[in-house]
Amino acid sequence: MNLQPEHRVKVLINEVFSYRKAVVAVFVAVNLIALGLGLVWPKGYTSSTTILVDDKKIIQPLMQGAAVATEVADRARLTREVIFGRKIMNQILESVGWMKDKLSPEEQEKIIERIRKKTNLTSVGKDIIKIEYSDDEAERAFKTAKKFAELFIAESLGAKAAESQAAFDFIDKQTEEYHDKLVKAEDQLKEFRSANLDARPGSDADISTRLSTLQSRIEQSSQDLKEAEVKKISLEKQLSGEAEVANVLSREGQFRTRIAELQSQLETLRLSYLETYPDIVRIKHQIEDLNEAIADDRQKRSAAKATGKVTVDDSVINNPMYQQLRRELSQTQITIDTLNARIGEAKRQLSQELERGKRVHGSEATISELTRDYQVNRDIYQDLLKRRENARVSMNLDKERQGLSFKIQEPALLPLEPSGLRFLHFVIGGMLAGVLLPLGLIYAKLQVDPRIYIGQMIADRHKLPLLAVVPHLWSPAETQVVRREIGWLSLTTTVSVAVIITVSVLRFMKVI
Amino acid sequence: MSKIEKALNKAKSTGSLRVIPSQNDREREDKPLAETTRSNMPVATIDIEQRANASELIARMREIAPLDKHALTQYRLIHPEMGENSTVRAFREIRTKVIQKTQGRNCVIMVTSVTSKGGSSFVSLNLSAAFAFDAGKTALLMDCNFRNPFLHKMFNARKEPYHGLTDYLENPDIDIADIIHPIGIERLRVIPSGGQREIPAEYFTSVKMRRLLESIRQRYRERYIVLDAPPMTESADTQIIAELCDYVVLVVPYGKVSDAQVVNSAKAIGEKKLLGVVFNNEPVPPDLGWRILFRNPLAFIAKAFKR
Repeated sequence: MNLQPEHRVKVLINEVFSYRKAVVAVFVAVNLIALGLGLVWPKGYTSSTTILVDDKKIIQPLMQGAAVATEVADRARLTREVIFGRKIMNQILESVGWMKDKLSPEEQEKIIERIRKKTNLTSVGKDIIKIEYSDDEAERAFKTAKKFAELFIAESLGAKAAESQAAFDFIDKQTEEYHDKLVKAEDQLKEFRSANLDARPGSDADISTRLSTLQSRIEQSSQDLKEAEVKKISLEKQLSGEAEVANVLSREGQFRTRIAELQSQLETLRLSYLETYPDIVRIKHQIEDLNEAIADDRQKRSAAKATGKVTVDDSVINNPMYQQLRRELSQTQITIDTLNARIGEAKRQLSQELERGKRVHGSEATISELTRDYQVNRDIYQDLLKRRENARVSMNLDKERQGLSFKIQEPALLPLEPSGLRFLHFVIGGMLAGVLLPLGLIYAKLQVDPRIYIGQMIADRHKLPLLAVVPHLWSPAETQVVRREIGWLSLTTTVSVAVIITVSVLRFMKVI
Repeated sequence: MSKIEKALNKAKSTGSLRVIPSQNDREREDKPLAETTRSNMPVATIDIEQRANASELIARMREIAPLDKHALTQYRLIHPEMGENSTVRAFREIRTKVIQKTQGRNCVIMVTSVTSKGGSSFVSLNLSAAFAFDAGKTALLMDCNFRNPFLHKMFNARKEPYHGLTDYLENPDIDIADIIHPIGIERLRVIPSGGQREIPAEYFTSVKMRRLLESIRQRYRERYIVLDAPPMTESADTQIIAELCDYVVLVVPYGKVSDAQVVNSAKAIGEKKLLGVVFNNEPVPPDLGWRILFRNPLAFIAKAFKR
């Protein structure tokens, strides 16, 4: 139900009047409950201490880049982790006096849980941690808070030192490992180099130059050889062709010259002598013999042609031209032999170089791999060496308590006044709740109740003419009843308030 | 039309002839108000004259012994001695608004509640009483709520037989005069529901019922007839009774009904007939005489715990 403010107050008054008994009953009940709670509520004592976390104020700029100061991200969280650890908790139990009686593990666990609940850790500002502990006993609260601060500082510093020591140890170990690796890589490289002497840097280019030289030499020699061979064939052809001509020229020419000479002699003789004259007969015989010799020679030549065998005449041999050719032929043959030998040698060398080239290639891949291993190991090793030195400095920082330091800013004090909800709070709270609760309930009821409590709303909302709002007609008897009721209710309220005040006064006088 | 009739009419129209009521008290009370002179006189003059006549007639109404304070309290009735009581003021306000609405003419008003126990009987009784406060006006309250009548309580103490509305509707021998009773409040007459508890709704539509209303309305010019009808949500009779009335007053009890119920009831009545809504029984704390507390606290406290 949506009410306008002026209506709201009116309806509230009417409703409070209607439910007057319930309102007073709730008021009295709430007040008495609050009073009872206030009486039995345990007194709480809170002791708190603040720790200043003084980190890297002077040392850090000096050690910039060389050492890493341990960072504290969320101080309260970190503190909680440390403090609520079993180690510190056990120490607290021991030192504060919980362990006077022998406690079973379950009981210990319960007490630890209770201490955890009653401990409040907050980060006040950036560098200050506040540890608060509440307890029923003032002294125990004080002792626990004090012990918490001490143990926390000791534990934090110890943990930090241990952490940097561990970091140093790890880096040291790593450095050693890489040193071994580096030495091994060096040895391998050395070994390989001694095994493959020609595997030097640049031998590749050397080999390729040499290969090309050899190849060009072979090509040159091959060309020379071909030339010489062509020359030889030509010489041989010439030689054989020359003999034939010379032969013909020499033998037949001689015979025919002889025959012509004889014929002229014969002619001369015939002029003077008969046929039977002996000189004429002898010359005739001689001519016949010469013809026969020509025929014979021709037959031989054809036979030689058929067999291919050249028969050289001595006369031919003695020919200077022939001899010249023969000389050249021989010379050419020598050249051919020389060239052949040279080509063979060059080819052998070429294959040798190729073999070497292959070998050099293989070893080069191996050597680059070994070199790379070596270089990587060397780089890492050098880096680790530097880091190890940094870690050593960090470790020394922590050992010397120079990095992150803790200082108790405000020591725990023995609480004199109880903290938390006190008796007075309960009394005041009870009074307020006693008034506000019934009002709130009635107000809530009016909010959710769809029924009409305001006559004016009928006119406003539904535009119906409102003739009048008729209040309840109180008869004198009813008025007297109401008066008496209000009298009793007032009396009840007064009595309960008086009781509360009396109890409060007694409480403050420490009677109760 | 005969000559005599013509002459009579003429005499009436000129004002030379007047019908004078009988001298017999009983007779005079039961006869309808005469149609008196109208023409040739200024309207205001006629009105004043008629009012004076009505007041005279009302003043002559036969009354019984007035109710004592105890009875008034018992019946939850307002009375002029209450002074500036807020309830009295509220009823006076309603009365004024009704008179404004009807422009001074008498009318038949039905009072009904949205729901049962909404206080329609309380409102109708006190509205009638408020009308009767005025010496120039009279009121007649008719109890039409047969299922849950309330007027009979006033008669039960008298120990004499009486007739009511149902008796009149059932029994042709009973005269209108037999069912109209004074109850000890000046100028207030009531018609109780009668001996019959259950009568069919058709009775309300009967000619007799219409004639009854017509005759009691015409008896006195300044008579306001108030009908207490059953709640809208519970009885179909209410709609039928509403047909017979000029206006309807809807009683909305405090904190008992929702908006929808009010709107539905108002719709059922119709905008034309709905005179207005009375928001009833607002629980305003009574005046406990706090002033005495400051003047004489002990006396106040003593009074508070007095039985």
